[in-house]
Amino acid sequence: MSTGRERRHARLERALLAVAGGAVWLWLAFRWVNSWFGGVVVGPTQPLVPESFVAAATGTGDALGAVANGVPVVAQAFDLLGWTVGMVGFASQYGPRLAVAAWLTVVLTVVAILIGLVIAVPLAAARVYGRVSKYVALVYIELVRGTPLVAQLFLLYYGAPFLSQFIRELPGVGQGIVPGQAVWIAIIGFIINSSAYQAEYIRGSVESVDAGQLTAARAVGLGQLEGIRYVVLPQALRYAIPSWTNELVYLIKYSSLATFITVPELFTRADAVGSSTFAYTKAYVLAGLFYLVLVVTASYAMSRVEDAVAIPGVGNANDRRG
Amino acid sequence: MSHLLEVEGLVKRYGDELVLDGIGFDMDARDVQVLVGPSGSGKSTMLRCVNRLTEFQGGEIRLDGTSVMAMDENDLRRQVGMVFQDFNLFAHLTAKQNVMLGPRRVLGKSKEAADALAMEELERVGLAAQADSYPAELSGGQQQRVGIARGLAMDPKLMLFDEPTSALDPELIGEVLSVMRELAEEGMTMLCVTHEMSFARQVATDIMFLEDGHIVEHGDPEKLFTNPDNERTEQFLRRLTEHGDGS
Repeated sequence: MSTGRERRHARLERALLAVAGGAVWLWLAFRWVNSWFGGVVVGPTQPLVPESFVAAATGTGDALGAVANGVPVVAQAFDLLGWTVGMVGFASQYGPRLAVAAWLTVVLTVVAILIGLVIAVPLAAARVYGRVSKYVALVYIELVRGTPLVAQLFLLYYGAPFLSQFIRELPGVGQGIVPGQAVWIAIIGFIINSSAYQAEYIRGSVESVDAGQLTAARAVGLGQLEGIRYVVLPQALRYAIPSWTNELVYLIKYSSLATFITVPELFTRADAVGSSTFAYTKAYVLAGLFYLVLVVTASYAMSRVEDAVAIPGVGNANDRRG
Repeated sequence: MSHLLEVEGLVKRYGDELVLDGIGFDMDARDVQVLVGPSGSGKSTMLRCVNRLTEFQGGEIRLDGTSVMAMDENDLRRQVGMVFQDFNLFAHLTAKQNVMLGPRRVLGKSKEAADALAMEELERVGLAAQADSYPAELSGGQQQRVGIARGLAMDPKLMLFDEPTSALDPELIGEVLSVMRELAEEGMTMLCVTHEMSFARQVATDIMFLEDGHIVEHGDPEKLFTNPDNERTEQFLRRLTEHGDGS
């Protein structure tokens, strides 16, 4: 049993998380909407804070870093302090740029994981129940899981010129807010890759549904597919949520590999900021913070979903394991 | 005049192992046929042949004069309800939704009609109050009664019971047996595998004693219990009754 004090702490923690998360997401949403409309409120990459603040933070950081130079330990402490203060200036200056790029990361991830899921469910069902399709699914899954994601992206981007050409010639591609062909190829690559991993997670949870339930469904007169659809999958998909969340978290970060095929997502932008400022560390740390926000949000949201769909009396995956 | 269920020379093999070796019997409407016998004697397999949950290699099973092999398997199962030892309720659905699934997806009833039907069947097994409970929230006896209601909702010609009380704690067996007893009294045709000898004696119209895939003895309950022809039957029944019902 939790004590009153623990509960108060938990409440405080939740409140702080909600305030911080809410503020970050409000800011992100503002930057995205602002940039979609070509910078209606402020320039798409212009900070909300005045330039004097950025300059002051940068200057203060430099000054702090210079304190006690040559004195062991103390100098390093001031270096770190100066770096941190300077980071605030850096973040306010380049944050907007990365925020805009984070949108593409979100799109890549969300589209790939959802379409990947639609493909993964029949793949998983085929793996468990299929006769011939079992082997087709197996080959697909092992082929995709057994090769590096970067290689898959390269293959699609450089190795399949007809694909690039086909996408490039589709109406609207690369115009206005419709992203260019590299983004579409990245999405295709992530869909293929993620569908294979998701299929394996879902296969595991399909197998964890007691086979007797499908037998019972068949005994009532439901066909095999109906039994899978109405009895097995509703449970299997629930049980797959924790591992599916894992895949989502991976994909958010793996989406940075799209940088290798020129997609201007979060990591690509951070890299560009690094090379134009020579402050690579600050640029990557800032990008890391963005990924952290996305990952924490995703896993928090999925744990809420898991609770919301938990079967009464069965509980969520943790309870089942417990 | 054909019987409701006719089983003739039924042969079932798992690989080289002969599980059922020429089983034959008939059932008429309203009959309660009880199958007894040591475990591994092929009782459950026999039951599963009737609704084709398992394939058989020889012989013939006819429902209402039609060979089950000539029927669409889903169509056959719509007419034959089944209750399982481990209940096999759909874990993500409430008691009512468990009963509704067949009528909705197999019989194509509307949600309202299936709902009303499910409530009726749950009422019949005394579980109307638990309609919105999930399987994990019910006792074993309650779960099995939902399992019975699920079968009944399809309005079957025949109900198969595969050791319906074997997975239950002793104090929960009575509620399931009393539901089954009521069903028999209402005229449901039932083919039951059970070790509940008092139920068999009171409710069965006929008892078959199965051993090693053969029918060793077959007949009127009173005769089987009091004066069996076969020594094996006598031994088996004596052991069951000595150890108390089903335990």
